[in-house]
Amino acid sequence: MTKRLPHPYGRLIDRTKKIQFSFEGKIVDGLAGDTVATALLANNEWLLSRSFKYHRPRGVLTLAGQDANTMIQLPSNPNALADKELITEGLEAKGQNYSGTLEKDRGSILGLFSRFLPVGFYYKAFFRPRGIWEKWAAVIRKKAGLGVIDQNISPSYYDKQYKFFDVVVVGGGPAGMQAALDSAVDGCEVLLIDENPILGGSLNYSRFDVEGCQGQLIRQELISAIEAKNNISVMTDAVCNGWFADNWLPVVAGNRLFKVRAAQTILCTGSLEQPALFHNNDLPGVIMGSAAQRMIHLYGVYPGSAAVILTGNNDGYGVALDLHDAGIAIKAIVDLRDKPIYDAIAEKAIDLGLTVKTGYAVYAAHHKRTRSVKSVDIRKIIRPGVCEEIGDIIDCDVVCMSVGYAPAYQLACQAGAQLSYNDTSAIFTLKHCPSNLQLAGSVNSLWDLDEVRSEASRAARIVTKSLGFISETEGEIISSAKPSPNHPWPIFSHPKGKEFVDFDEDLTISDIINATSDGYEHIQLVKRYSTCGMGPSQGRHSALAAARIVAWATNRSVAETGVTTARPPFSAEKLGLSAGRSFYPKRLTNMHTRHIDAGAEMLQAGAWFRPAFYHQGKLDNQSCINNEVDNIRNNVGLVDVSTLGGIDLRGPDVAEFLERFYTFRFKKQPVGRARYALLTNEAGIVIDDGVACRLSEFHYYITATTGGADRVYQSMLKWNSQWRLDLDISNVTSAYCGINIAGPNARHVLTKLQSDIDFSSDAFPYMGVRTGVISNIPARVIRVGFVGEIGYEIHVPQLVGEALWDLVIEAGHEFGIQPFGIEAQRILRLEKGHIIIGQDTDAMSNPNEIQMGWAVSRDKPFFVGGRTISELERKPPLRKLVGFLIDDLNSPMPQESHLVLDGTKMTGRVTSCNYSPTLKKIIGLAYVPLEKAESGSTIVIKSSEDYSVEATVTELPFYDPKSLRQEL
Amino acid sequence: MSIADPTTSARRSPLTHWHKNNRAIFTMIGSSSVVESYEPKDGSIDEQRQAKELAICDLSTLPRTGFKGQGASMWLGEQGLHLPSSSNSAVIQSSGSLIAKLSDQEALILSDIFALSNDVGNLVNRSTSDHRELTQQTYILPRGDSHCWFTVTGSKASEMFSKICAVDLRTHKFLLGSVAQTSLARVSSVIIRHDFGDTPCFYVLSDISSAEFLWDCLLDAMYEYNGVNIGINALQSLIDKH
Repeated sequence: MTKRLPHPYGRLIDRTKKIQFSFEGKIVDGLAGDTVATALLANNEWLLSRSFKYHRPRGVLTLAGQDANTMIQLPSNPNALADKELITEGLEAKGQNYSGTLEKDRGSILGLFSRFLPVGFYYKAFFRPRGIWEKWAAVIRKKAGLGVIDQNISPSYYDKQYKFFDVVVVGGGPAGMQAALDSAVDGCEVLLIDENPILGGSLNYSRFDVEGCQGQLIRQELISAIEAKNNISVMTDAVCNGWFADNWLPVVAGNRLFKVRAAQTILCTGSLEQPALFHNNDLPGVIMGSAAQRMIHLYGVYPGSAAVILTGNNDGYGVALDLHDAGIAIKAIVDLRDKPIYDAIAEKAIDLGLTVKTGYAVYAAHHKRTRSVKSVDIRKIIRPGVCEEIGDIIDCDVVCMSVGYAPAYQLACQAGAQLSYNDTSAIFTLKHCPSNLQLAGSVNSLWDLDEVRSEASRAARIVTKSLGFISETEGEIISSAKPSPNHPWPIFSHPKGKEFVDFDEDLTISDIINATSDGYEHIQLVKRYSTCGMGPSQGRHSALAAARIVAWATNRSVAETGVTTARPPFSAEKLGLSAGRSFYPKRLTNMHTRHIDAGAEMLQAGAWFRPAFYHQGKLDNQSCINNEVDNIRNNVGLVDVSTLGGIDLRGPDVAEFLERFYTFRFKKQPVGRARYALLTNEAGIVIDDGVACRLSEFHYYITATTGGADRVYQSMLKWNSQWRLDLDISNVTSAYCGINIAGPNARHVLTKLQSDIDFSSDAFPYMGVRTGVISNIPARVIRVGFVGEIGYEIHVPQLVGEALWDLVIEAGHEFGIQPFGIEAQRILRLEKGHIIIGQDTDAMSNPNEIQMGWAVSRDKPFFVGGRTISELERKPPLRKLVGFLIDDLNSPMPQESHLVLDGTKMTGRVTSCNYSPTLKKIIGLAYVPLEKAESGSTIVIKSSEDYSVEATVTELPFYDPKSLRQEL
Repeated sequence: MSIADPTTSARRSPLTHWHKNNRAIFTMIGSSSVVESYEPKDGSIDEQRQAKELAICDLSTLPRTGFKGQGASMWLGEQGLHLPSSSNSAVIQSSGSLIAKLSDQEALILSDIFALSNDVGNLVNRSTSDHRELTQQTYILPRGDSHCWFTVTGSKASEMFSKICAVDLRTHKFLLGSVAQTSLARVSSVIIRHDFGDTPCFYVLSDISSAEFLWDCLLDAMYEYNGVNIGINALQSLIDKH
């Protein structure tokens, strides 16, 4: 039955709004603002889930979303944290990692065999025989798993957003609020981030004075001041999940990843209360003192009816007072300190007559049938970590631990701060932060409220001064006058073990010691060998204890031992946050709609979308492609070549530049002529090709391959930054659209267009270039022969591309002009024996291997790759790109990259292969060894279906060897 | 004057068909076919009000050009144009056109949204008629075709941009006349702050082949803030009132 503390307890709940949800199939009543965990606690349900390894019952530990004890299964969200997940009407929640029921988990039997499952068990047990791990892995993973992923889930919408601030303050507790306020007063734009639903941090639940009202008064004062400042932005329910160079901060809020840039960062991330280690310290009902205070103050929940406080500082007495005020019986305050120095709060607790046992420890906790704590065994401490043989049993239903804190050092360490430890005071300190990052509050080992606020103000002055908002000095560094709240050794080994160091991975004191005994003495090796700190809570509650135990086991100080590296993300981050709203630009030509309207099947080439072929009624794809080929060979077609690279080179030194950049000669190239341009890199490898069109003495228009255009342009810029030639290089790929009109009727179509260009064979020969207008559209026209027929490439400004397409289609209507795609173009060029760079070449192809030696000028003083090519030419090539024919049309058609074999030896590979509708044969290109390169040689090609086919090496081109078609 | 079919004009925005599919009404601004406004699908959309809050308008067919080279700045000055003193800034000419200086050797010239200025046409004609590239190392760039041109307007524009752009475009940081050469949704873009009246406005010039992709990205990012596509009438009204 639900029972709550009266108002003003329960700061986060709305008592007027009742919400019903289910847990493990049972209906649970809660209130708006409740988390799953607090709603269950209000119904006296402690058991939330089962542990990872031994399936031990687990409940709330921190009530701050910092531990893995509260991981539950939601329908579409495994590993949800029950102490962070707000309840909603009808929510269906379940525990995780159990066989049978959460109450009666068959997997818990594993706990009985824990002595046979020592640290490093998997390494030791499944090392031999070979392959044994693969057999066991599935069984083990099924037993030791986390939540279940719903693979049928519809993805949610995730996205990202940038934010920019002068100062970002991480942590909205007293230090963070003060730092944000002071920074804003000085004029900075400030972002204040807190992971909780409301600002205030410990002010919301901790006891700072005897009356227990100071926290709220200060919180109200600070919040009012913050709200009055319009240059402070506040993000609650937001987690800063890492620190990256130059104060790049990923902040997760809901389904959005904010990429925050800060000129200065102030970390007020606070500190994390640490557990004590004793037998059964993981039982439901054994919680942090701060967790009990959160239950009371934030949710109005009774932590129990009879409490034992285990403390090593005065904060535990504050917890006792809070519980006492809420009407919960304090069975004992068990103080680890032999001679404590009390503050006013502790003295108040003593004055109230609460039972205090100084110099005692909770040695063990015992559970009842409901799996939660029913009593503790407290014993007198003889020396650190060792107790008397006999103790007292105290009945209780909640144990609150207040034995010390570790700073939330993760972000600071990611920024380069060094964590050090004082073995005497048991306090961590962070040093050597970068100049654009400051610390304030308990992360900086300050706990007194006045000291915290003063230090926060000082941090604000440092950052505002560095940003030029103020000129005054920042003031003196504050040293705490308060004694350390950290007990140096809240660790009590038990003969029966089960004193958990790492709750995520079910690691006990003996596991850590055994890791060091196995030779893994370095804390980083202990982590990897034992998996301590590798679970979902990333060592937040185990790093300090593990360091202490390793230090003890290896006879070193904790300072010498150190702690493990804390890498981002700070808390679990959904993959959707990284994956969501990613951008993959698409590039379309101006004629794209025309292609779609004509039935094009589009193909993606890099970012470009190009027509592969055009559907023709119910014809199958290959028939459509073959028809497109036939139409080019016998009539006329047009293809969109807008994706080809286009580069304008202008200036007095343009010809000299091309001489150096490409393999051919260009200085004597006449104006109005185009020339094939082959590009090699310094290693003499062919990396691109195109056509160099001389539009005027000092103006060339260069085309490049679709995929290589940007690389060619960048390469040109790079080389000319060395050569310093007088020319301008402009990438105009997107500025021009291009159409190739090809086929025996191409000229007839063009002459139907109104143009000042004479398209006759004499006036406009093969590889000629003309500029003019076509139907008032300015155009650059190149007579080309890539597909082996008379053809004209018309390049026009991008915005008139569609209009040109329409004009050509209309002009060609009477000739039956049809568009063709790149599949047909590939066949056409293959018939003509033209290679495609990137498909028929690889990272080793030099010009001679691919029968392009004719495109290399050897009497130039220099060109990129020239020296290497001349060296390569001294030796016979090892392979050659040749054409091959397969007469038997029933043979399986080889595919690209199929191997050429000599017996069982691989000697080459196929680069292109297709059925030629013109020749009615299978034709292709392949790299073969030199001895097989002669025309008439037989090569054997192994298909991927484990089938070999014989092919005959043939002279190139396959079609129109005298190029008569291009001279029509 | 409204026109029925934008494809009667040879120069067509890469978004022409998108506009048609979204019930655009076209008009001629100078010799350019642009969207005047959109017929609302359901209910009425006040495009003028939207322009003040968050909206996007396609200006890709309006005149623009570019020049680069060692002599470009001097030559443009000789043509009576006033260039910004520093790179990555833009200034309005007395004719209404805008010149953005992208580097010491490169400038971008944009028409006004009424296409009243002849600066672009005049510069193109003069440049091509006297072989500038040889005599003064001034090379014309086909910016009218290499880049699409959008205008994003309204008080929420900066916030919207922060979803797809890593540059701080908040109006008190990215001041009037500022130019950012950056990436929008991974598309290389030039962003120019050029307010209309008291409404924050940003010209966006990006690779024209990615125009449709970027348009979709911008509309998707604007959806959260109720931003919509508008025609040029609403843009012009921002200036009329002032």
